[in-house]
Amino acid sequence: MSGEAVLRYVAISLIFLGVLVAPGLSAAASPKPRITDIHGQAKGRSALVHFTLRNAFTPGMVEALKSGIEISFKTVVRVQRRHRNWFDTTVGEITFSRSVRYDALSRVYHLNRGKEVELLPDIFTALAGMTRYEVIVPLSYKVERGKRYRAYVRTRLDKVGLSDPLRSIFFFSSLWDVETEWARGDISAP
Amino acid sequence: MKEFPPRTPDLSPEKERAKRKRERVAIGIVAALVAGLTILEARLGAIGGTVAFTSNIIIFALININVILIVLLIFLVTRNVFKLILDRKRNILGAKIRSRLVLIFISFSLLPTILLFIAATNITTTSISSWIGGRVGVALTSALDIARGSLEREAGSLSGVADQAATAILRQGKKVSLQDSLEAARRGLPSDVSLLLVGKTGPAVVSGGVSWEIAGQIRSRLKGEEGATRGQGVRTIIDESYASAVRHLPDGRAVVAVKTIPPREAKRFREIAKTYDEYHQVRLLDDPIRASYIATLILITLLVVFAASWMGIYLARQITVPVQMLAEGTEKVASGDLSVRLDYRSDDEFGHLVGSFNRMTADLKEMKKSLEDANVSLSATFEELRRRSRFIETILTNISTGVIVIDRGGRIAMINKVAERMLAIKTDKVLGKPYKEVVREEHYDVVRTLSREVGETPGKQVDRQVDLTIGGKRISLRVSVTALHGDDEEYMGLVVAFDDLSQAMRLQRIMAWREVARRIAHEIRNPLTPIQLSTERLQKKFAASHEDDSAFSECTQTILSEVGSLKSLVEEFTRFARMPAPAFKEGNLGEELRPVVETFRTAHPGIAWDFEEGEVPPVWFDPFQIRRAVTNLLENAAAALGKQGRCVVRVGHEPALGSVRVSVYDDGPGIPPGDRDRLFEPYFSRKEGGMGLGLAIVSAIASDHQGTVKVRDNVPKGTVFEIEFPVRPKREG
Repeated sequence: MSGEAVLRYVAISLIFLGVLVAPGLSAAASPKPRITDIHGQAKGRSALVHFTLRNAFTPGMVEALKSGIEISFKTVVRVQRRHRNWFDTTVGEITFSRSVRYDALSRVYHLNRGKEVELLPDIFTALAGMTRYEVIVPLSYKVERGKRYRAYVRTRLDKVGLSDPLRSIFFFSSLWDVETEWARGDISAP
Repeated sequence: MKEFPPRTPDLSPEKERAKRKRERVAIGIVAALVAGLTILEARLGAIGGTVAFTSNIIIFALININVILIVLLIFLVTRNVFKLILDRKRNILGAKIRSRLVLIFISFSLLPTILLFIAATNITTTSISSWIGGRVGVALTSALDIARGSLEREAGSLSGVADQAATAILRQGKKVSLQDSLEAARRGLPSDVSLLLVGKTGPAVVSGGVSWEIAGQIRSRLKGEEGATRGQGVRTIIDESYASAVRHLPDGRAVVAVKTIPPREAKRFREIAKTYDEYHQVRLLDDPIRASYIATLILITLLVVFAASWMGIYLARQITVPVQMLAEGTEKVASGDLSVRLDYRSDDEFGHLVGSFNRMTADLKEMKKSLEDANVSLSATFEELRRRSRFIETILTNISTGVIVIDRGGRIAMINKVAERMLAIKTDKVLGKPYKEVVREEHYDVVRTLSREVGETPGKQVDRQVDLTIGGKRISLRVSVTALHGDDEEYMGLVVAFDDLSQAMRLQRIMAWREVARRIAHEIRNPLTPIQLSTERLQKKFAASHEDDSAFSECTQTILSEVGSLKSLVEEFTRFARMPAPAFKEGNLGEELRPVVETFRTAHPGIAWDFEEGEVPPVWFDPFQIRRAVTNLLENAAAALGKQGRCVVRVGHEPALGSVRVSVYDDGPGIPPGDRDRLFEPYFSRKEGGMGLGLAIVSAIASDHQGTVKVRDNVPKGTVFEIEFPVRPKREG
């Protein structure tokens, strides 16, 4: 192999290495969003699931929120009944969105939980409203006593409510990459 | 001459054209799809406020398709550029001008595009910077503060109302219903002011025309601020559509005085707040916005450059393809291939040019074919003329008639060999000269007389017999002078034909001598036998009685001797006079004559006898007579050579004349020119004891074979006799 070929080989290898490693380094630079504290109770034909979304809001996102950009998360909560020697079966699943928006005129945060809009006076309560969840998951059949159930939760950035001119500019690109892995936690049953 | 490599080694012009068409269609479809999808995505983006950004599969598909199409467009253009570079490296005709045109197009498009790109980038970034970094932010903040202040003032003006209403409700307690308390407190207030009593639970009690939406918002805000602001007296809550003052009661309820903002003002407040938000969003996303604009401009620039490149390639190909075809076609035409047809159809000038080229090659081919046909015809005519000319030349060369042609200017245009020989002149010395300069003085009178007579004769032809002395030899010629006239009676010259009558006269003399010989033989032979018999009788009868008389015996013996001589003479005369008609048969002339030469070689060993035989076909002849003729010639040669010398007998064939020739060469003393005229006449002999019939017999045999016998000097010395006669005499044909 000639020297030029060796150099070319090394250069290509380094490029591929950079491509593979760069995302990992950037990810390591900022904490990754995740779901924690999953717990709850299954009773009757529903399950009440609590969980907390952490590291979802970067400083840039907070600044964007203060600038009037609406931020929306879409969350999937799946409840499965666990089996000892068989695959777990999904007994209930719900997908919902939660968004928050700041109104500079009235100086309140509009937290939309789906059914109603809460007007919150400060960003702390607004962020708390966006990261702490208490969700009722309808189940396909009644909870069996003594059986084990587990909740799986995943959240990702749903939409970013930019103003009209900016929406056309950033149509092809995403401002932030917020998406959690599937998190799981056991929920109690009678 | 430069050799052009093949333009496209694998594809025919039809396939190449179809391929180009497919590429053009593909590029057109790609461009249309890119444009269409871009518009569609832009419209989707415009309504995309409620569309999930990252989860919309259709949007992603469109984006991906768009990217693929752009990549495809870039690939097509790049492929064309690389192909152009390869063509240029291969030195394919037209590649240089094509690359030059593409370069010009790219340069013309690249320079303004880059300038435009730089200018647009600067303008965009400067505009963004000036917008977010200038006084706009201050103005927007001020506007928002003003709006907010206006609403706060409105809300502040309601503080007293809320406080009074709260005091009234607290004073009345449960004596009066809450609704009535509010109605009473509201009495005297403007119509756009309402009163609300909001509890911890249950619906709010409302007095006035405030909307339930506003009431809900106020209730929600109070709920959100629960605990944070309780017990602080009267405070304000504002929104774009309302301004309110809140007075909390000790039991947790709150009395709210609300003023509904007129829609027009609410809209203004909303616009101010919206613009303020947009400003801050732009300021927050300053760098991504710049990058997005620059990326868009780069994309547009690339598209323009690639489009210009493709257009350059397309236009260059439009120009160079016909040029290349024409060059290759011209090359083929130059190498002689006139079947070239350029398959290029277009309505432009190149199409007309190619059409003209095709017509030109077709005309050239037609003309070439005509020329070839004419050439073939001319060649055939020329060959025919040459054959005729050769035939006439052969005739003129070999006929016994001398021919001289004089052109209209009196110059000698042609002389055949017979005339050359008869008149003892050289063609190369007289040809082209005026005949008056060539004619000798002693013959000038004869020529002038003939010329005058031709002019005076109506038929323009004169036949005369003239006797001339040429080279000391007297010859008789029958001269025929004919004036030549063309189709338009134009005088073209003279043809002078003359026959040597010497041979004919010689034959006439031979015939006369034959007759004489026959009569003499007849007259002499008859008395000879009685004379001989009588003399012999006299000898027998009187020999004894005249034994002593020597005169008797001598006289009788002389009589008998002379009678014998006379008999021999008569026999020769008879043989000469009564030569039988030749008995022709086909045979090999050489085989007949070789033994004759052998005989003489034996008989005359001192003489070198040679026999040479060429390629001679079978000949019709009388072997006996020919052998006799050659024997006579060899006898004369042997006599002339004496004890030693050389004699060559040569048998040859003259295909052009259809004759054979037997030549006898000797290197003897030769024959004086003065004797040659009478050489073949009977009884002319220089030999001692010769009867002068040998050559006369040779002449007669040659004549009987429809041939001739000639004599000439041998070089360097000696004599040549030539017997020439046809291979197939007419009487046998």
